[in-house]
Amino acid sequence: MSVTTVPPVPLSRRVLPLVMLSPAVLVTLAIVFLPMVQALWMSLHDYVLFRPKNFDWVGLKNFVTVWNDPVFWTSLRHTVIWIAITVPAQMLLGLATALLLNQNFPWRGLARALVIIPWALPSVVIALMWVWIYDSNFGVLNDLMLRFNLISSAIPWLADPDTALYAIILTLTWQGFPFFAVMILAGLQSIPRSYYEAASIDGASQARQFWHITLPGLSGVLMTATLLRVIWVANSIDVIYVMTGGGPGYSTYTLPLYALVKARTGLDYGYGSALAVSFTLLLLGFVVLYLRRAGRNIA
Amino acid sequence: MTHSNKDTAPTAWAKTLKTLAMGLLASTAIASGAQAQEVNFWYHFDNADNPMSALVEKFEAENPGITVNAENVPWNSYYDQLYTSIVAGTGPDAALVKLNAQPRLIEMEALEPLDAWINGWGGKAEVQDNLFTLTAAADGSHYYLPVQYVVLYLYYRTDMFQELGLTPPTTCDEFRDAAKALTRDTDGDGHTDVYGFGFRGGKGGHDHWASLTLARDGVGFGKGELTSEAGVAGTQFVLDLFQKDKVFPPSAPNDGFKEIIGAFQGGQTAMTIHHIGSSAGMVEALGDKVSAVPVPECGGGHWTSFGDESTAVFSAAQDKEAAWKWISFLSSPINNAEFNKATGQLPVTKTDSANWDGHAARFVDATVASLPFAELLPNTSETADFANTVWPVAMQRALIGEISATEMNAEIDALYNK
Repeated sequence: MSVTTVPPVPLSRRVLPLVMLSPAVLVTLAIVFLPMVQALWMSLHDYVLFRPKNFDWVGLKNFVTVWNDPVFWTSLRHTVIWIAITVPAQMLLGLATALLLNQNFPWRGLARALVIIPWALPSVVIALMWVWIYDSNFGVLNDLMLRFNLISSAIPWLADPDTALYAIILTLTWQGFPFFAVMILAGLQSIPRSYYEAASIDGASQARQFWHITLPGLSGVLMTATLLRVIWVANSIDVIYVMTGGGPGYSTYTLPLYALVKARTGLDYGYGSALAVSFTLLLLGFVVLYLRRAGRNIA
Repeated sequence: MTHSNKDTAPTAWAKTLKTLAMGLLASTAIASGAQAQEVNFWYHFDNADNPMSALVEKFEAENPGITVNAENVPWNSYYDQLYTSIVAGTGPDAALVKLNAQPRLIEMEALEPLDAWINGWGGKAEVQDNLFTLTAAADGSHYYLPVQYVVLYLYYRTDMFQELGLTPPTTCDEFRDAAKALTRDTDGDGHTDVYGFGFRGGKGGHDHWASLTLARDGVGFGKGELTSEAGVAGTQFVLDLFQKDKVFPPSAPNDGFKEIIGAFQGGQTAMTIHHIGSSAGMVEALGDKVSAVPVPECGGGHWTSFGDESTAVFSAAQDKEAAWKWISFLSSPINNAEFNKATGQLPVTKTDSANWDGHAARFVDATVASLPFAELLPNTSETADFANTVWPVAMQRALIGEISATEMNAEIDALYNK
């Protein structure tokens, strides 16, 4: 019996990939992993930046304070609303846009290019633009609604605690839907046309084709895009910060914003880090659950 | 010819190398010289065409060997950046600073005492008399060198007051009556389009609240003063103006500087509180339809905010002497006038004040008339939290009805009297 032996891979060939990867790994360790560890370490200390010499170990005290902090729970509730409305709204709008852009019509290329604009604009520009749209004195939204008699007096969208968070959600939905549109459009183009032709021959309606061919064909793209957006939207604070700064009161506080305000404005880095770590753990838990469930569904 | 070429080529190379080497040496020498005599200075100007580069050029010409790197840092994150950069060891050598930041900076041991320099400085007698007293630290030392000042007063629309036969309010009651009268629908479409007062409910608006609250007898930041009947009445007065009388624009809880100034200039509000720094813009937008008077007297007293701006040298400065030379240059006659023409505030030197023509007289008069009762916020570390986080959130929550006037004042009282 002859045994075919695989010639051993030379050491240099085995080491080479590691050597090639090491710069990227080192940079990631330095700019992502190290600050994460630092934040975790700070969260276990009493560390107020204007008393930089005091760095007292307090164990889990900051986390106990987080648990008993009503603003944490308010911010968490807002974060859940923020993600639960924004991501599905972006996805539905992106899906509708992608389906439209997948049709044949004149100037389709231009339409595809234009639809990406909200995604390409810097968040701060978008936030400032929408602040003016919502402005109760000069804003175009109030002006239009007044002209069409939809409201009897101008609504301070961003200064009213009942509308402020939803007004920002609308802004972020507008900003983020092109991401879904582009991803889904790419997904649509990867579904073979023969599936639809076969379904048509079998007499499947458009709706059935969408349900049984398009959606399953997009599931991988939708899962990945949704996961990415959940993480990005959850961590997104720039638009909120510019539009309301979290106000009025705590009406638009989300957890990352609360952590930022505590650390950067209040200079309480110990507590701010505890908030950030708590949020990271919550988000991590959600992501793990999501991956398990979504992975099973796709399989 | 060939021989000559061969002969000259190495010579040319040698010359080039020599020139390069000398150039490198020279640039290294210059760089190390500049390193030793460099001043990194942070400031914040809203005015886009600020004259800082002209002042830097003038200073560098007068002080050869010192390089000033003046950086305009956006106001909204000015202190966030300053504190974090100091701790990170990347802070400036000198910067424009406000008094309410002083206790915190002292606690951080970030400031260099200026007393020895000030006492030996020829320009000391030029600085207006009370300013060194106002800017002294709690221990009596001086860490700040005054560079400009303002006092907050009440802007009002002269044309609207005239149209309704009103006179500028001198008391809180008159203020409320005037604000109610001025809040109206001017174009007959059934919607209010002019509001009596532009209230700043966002960050920086504590001056508005303070004028209407802290003026009251016995009300201040001492224990129980804000939670007293008079203290709560002051905050309740502000809340009633918004919730009952509806004389603030509905956006008031979130409104910041640009909103209150924009609304006043655009005719959406008839009164607001700010200082002489915005008077040029007001006149440009409204001409003689705008004037100013001291803020109203409320509940038996008078309170307005003294808006200061000083410069300081940081203890981690690479060349403290050079940094002092630069900040003292900014507080010297002529330079100080140039500086204040850009910021729109008032010069601190006696010569520049005497020759000052940077503002319309009516705004200078309102400022001078407000000086006798102008006050500063407490000179303690808590004031930074009060101005940056506690007051804005508490005021907004009170305005939108989430907490009462009593609860709001209790939060501030708890901050100062732990």
